[in-house]
Amino acid sequence: MSTDDESFHPLGNEWEGELESMLDDTEYDSQLGMDMARDAMRVTEGELSEAEFHEKYHDDVMEEFGEDERPTKEAYEKAQEETKGTVSRMLDKFDGDGEQTRREAMKKMGVGAAAVGVGAWGTVDDGPEASVAEGGHGGGTETHEHPDTQWGMTIDLERCDGCLTCMTACQQENDLDQGVNWMYVMAWEDRNHSSPDGGQGLVDSGAYTDFNMGSDFNMLVRPCQHCTDAPCEKVCPTTARHTRDKDGIVLTDYDVCIGCRYCQVACPYGVNYFQWEDPSVEYEDIDGLENPEDPDEITHAEYEHGERWVDSRAPRGVMSKCTFCPSMQDGKQGDDMVGTTACESACPPNAIQFGDVNDEKSDSYQHREHPVKSRAVAHLSGDHISSNRYVPGPETVNETLSESDDIESAIAALDAANESRTFDEEVLSMMKAIDIVSERLEPGDNKNTTMIQNERTILESLDAIEGYVDLESEDALDTLNLDDGSEESARFQLQQYVGNPSSFNLLDHIGTNPNVTYLGAEPGSDAYQVEGPTKYEDAGLLDRRQEKLDNETVGHIDGVSL
Amino acid sequence: MSTKEPTEADILRPINTLTKKYFVLYGIATLALLVFLAGWAYQLQEGLVVTGLGDWGSGGGSTWGLYIGAFIWWVGVAHGGIILSAAVRLLGMDRYMPIARLAEMTTIGGLSAAGFYILVHMGRPDRMVTSVIGHYHITVNNSPLVWDVTVITAYFVLSATYLGLTLRYDVSRLRDQLPDRFEPIYKIMTLGYTKQEDEIIERMVWWLAAAVIIMAPLLLHGGVIPWLFALLPAMPAWTGGIQGPMFLSIALMSAIGGVTIISYAFRRAYDWDHIITDDIFRGLLLWLGFFTLLFLWFQLQFVLNGVFLGPNAKAVSAEAKLAHPLYQGAMFLIFSTLVYIFLQTIRPSLFSKKRALLASGIILTGTLTEKVLFVVEGFKHPVFDIYANTPGTYFPSLIEWASLAGTAGLVALLFLNLSKLVPVVELHAVEHMRGDHAHGDEATEPEVEA
Repeated sequence: MSTDDESFHPLGNEWEGELESMLDDTEYDSQLGMDMARDAMRVTEGELSEAEFHEKYHDDVMEEFGEDERPTKEAYEKAQEETKGTVSRMLDKFDGDGEQTRREAMKKMGVGAAAVGVGAWGTVDDGPEASVAEGGHGGGTETHEHPDTQWGMTIDLERCDGCLTCMTACQQENDLDQGVNWMYVMAWEDRNHSSPDGGQGLVDSGAYTDFNMGSDFNMLVRPCQHCTDAPCEKVCPTTARHTRDKDGIVLTDYDVCIGCRYCQVACPYGVNYFQWEDPSVEYEDIDGLENPEDPDEITHAEYEHGERWVDSRAPRGVMSKCTFCPSMQDGKQGDDMVGTTACESACPPNAIQFGDVNDEKSDSYQHREHPVKSRAVAHLSGDHISSNRYVPGPETVNETLSESDDIESAIAALDAANESRTFDEEVLSMMKAIDIVSERLEPGDNKNTTMIQNERTILESLDAIEGYVDLESEDALDTLNLDDGSEESARFQLQQYVGNPSSFNLLDHIGTNPNVTYLGAEPGSDAYQVEGPTKYEDAGLLDRRQEKLDNETVGHIDGVSL
Repeated sequence: MSTKEPTEADILRPINTLTKKYFVLYGIATLALLVFLAGWAYQLQEGLVVTGLGDWGSGGGSTWGLYIGAFIWWVGVAHGGIILSAAVRLLGMDRYMPIARLAEMTTIGGLSAAGFYILVHMGRPDRMVTSVIGHYHITVNNSPLVWDVTVITAYFVLSATYLGLTLRYDVSRLRDQLPDRFEPIYKIMTLGYTKQEDEIIERMVWWLAAAVIIMAPLLLHGGVIPWLFALLPAMPAWTGGIQGPMFLSIALMSAIGGVTIISYAFRRAYDWDHIITDDIFRGLLLWLGFFTLLFLWFQLQFVLNGVFLGPNAKAVSAEAKLAHPLYQGAMFLIFSTLVYIFLQTIRPSLFSKKRALLASGIILTGTLTEKVLFVVEGFKHPVFDIYANTPGTYFPSLIEWASLAGTAGLVALLFLNLSKLVPVVELHAVEHMRGDHAHGDEATEPEVEA
């Protein structure tokens, strides 16, 4: 920081003077621009809050420009809302494309003010890297502004049973070659975690006990981590590897990639797969789903400026990896598929929860922040093959129960109401415990809120039951093992059924800021892969791709390696 | 010392003679290049699947291999070459003046081979211009590979300018004895030449040399090239600040080895005993020993840092490196060469030009082996070492092996062609050796007594 001159800007007086003359060239008030710029620097330095800054100049800006769309608007309004309620936020919904208004505002603020004022936000919001990447155009990199949506996953490793269904689903969805395992599932051991003999198939390996856990194996599910600070993107010499602005997913532009493979070298997780030869599925044969005649429909994803070829299997000579299914996120496979991925939809025990990791209503957020409750909900609502228990719908409850029922008779009656499935104290206890710990969030029109919807369904059933039976009495709570009915006891009770997993990010120390969070045991630094419950070849998958690639190597000698 | 006086006719001999041996050598070099070009054509047709490369991780392969190893090796030879030549001008090491131009040409050849490898290595070389240059203003901020291309280009320009400027002096003076068939080329080379520019050019060349010497450790083979690997935290076999000095020492070793071999060939072919003297070979060998010592020192630092209480990933990679038979072999060869070089300084009778040639060959083989291994080792023991298929397998395909012969052929062809066009020994050097050079530069390095 400059301390010896009067300049507010880190680059000093000269720079400031330049900005001022730039402002003079616009039709708007230079003094206002410079004052704002000075205080904008104070905001980046933390001396002034965004809301205070916004308020200070609001009247002047309205007078000068007729509108105030500065980036601090949100902070200001948030502060306002605390007293005024949420009317303004609701009105915001009708505002349309925020990006557009911001750009217009920048234009009106004048080039200089925009450079200083908004540029200052670039540094405080996104770090120095982001402002560097700014200015990408002509098929170049996307800017690094914090996206409203950040797709990500929460993967419950203890629910994963190693069936490899997600891997085959991914392969089919994306028409991948054998051995191109964008999604990869492995069992592992380290000095603190052992596992039974693998490769026997689910039933033999004793998978699926009761409420809890997919298998006795330690599993790791490895899609691309879609890192916020993706090393692959940083090293790319072409900007082919990029983060999509609107939803934070990391993709490869197949039309730009030169196949240098530096992304594969820099990725610490090993998620990249190069297209060493012509892909086994012809481009024309890529399933276009709604429009099978035109594969472009699903291979090209939507961007602010047109479309880019980033989805499905790569053509020869370029890099590929897990994409988080942009054709689904763009709504090209129907509205139902927005906020899902092929692997998530396919996972039988719902171990994969995809969603907007910043949205508290999304599945990935819910599962990450409330793993115990979410596990219980997933367990009670899934079509999980182990779960022979069921939650009766409100209608069944109303048909089955009467005012005269007590807790025991109600449980017995509901159990009898379904011939093949069980309803018992434990199910009711979990339902009540979910009720106690639940914030009862409304799904609203947010995408990907299966978890909250399922929770609501369970709670509707519970409400119906409570219409007939008092579950708040001491006796009832005692029967349901819920002690005094406090949140603590409810959470403890849920943990008895579903465990209390710790969460982690893979290779957190490398600083990639991944958007995949895991629940369960983290592999130690000495961890090594072991044969899992299901063999790759039994699922029609190729594990070691090199076996296939070696066939085409000119002058390959078996067993010789550097 | 030689009794003959070097003359202009001596340095013009390669241009004005045409022997059978020349044609044979030309034929071999061309053939080597053509064989590889055919292999590359096949690779372009079928995809990179024809190489031994694969995906590290679940795939059980190695992402990069011989192509990248040979690429950084050639860049090393090139960078070392220009450092050598710059040192002659900057530090007044006039004793090596006769081989300064050979070193500069080695740089041009090495950079050409390295640049060629960049293309050969890529999945879509056709997009080099649109994808790389088109986004340069963005990617130069982040991508070490782009920095790499930038400095290689910068050094190509620098070296070519350097060579071009010094050639003006020679060509304008020797024009009458040069063949007329290349007249247009000479005309372009000496465009606007006047004798008044000599002094200016000398100053320009001095500044270019200064830039080379300063930038070599900071940006060149002591900086950007190792950063391609050393900055990646996920591959412990590559990381660490020691890679900068390590790469620079390898560059200088390789370049001195290369220049020794090329000098030997020219001396033998054109009876230049009195120009490229025994003394030069002795000096080169000593410098080779010095940089070999540095290299072994850095290797020791790197390996010891891993094997003695290293973090898991680092320890695993360092132990694996140490245990690799090829690494052991390469280090043994390099160390033995160092022992020989030291012995022959103590007992000068152990020196012979053939032995210097052999030492250079061994060092070049050793550094190339180390480079290829270095690249592959990264993928073998990453931090995320959980995959059953990692370490994977990799052995270069025949096409990759052929690339070594092909690029060596390319560099040989460059020398064979250039030697017919311009003097490969500077006129300055001849003038200096005759003692009729205008400059009062004193040799700062004491000559080794035979």
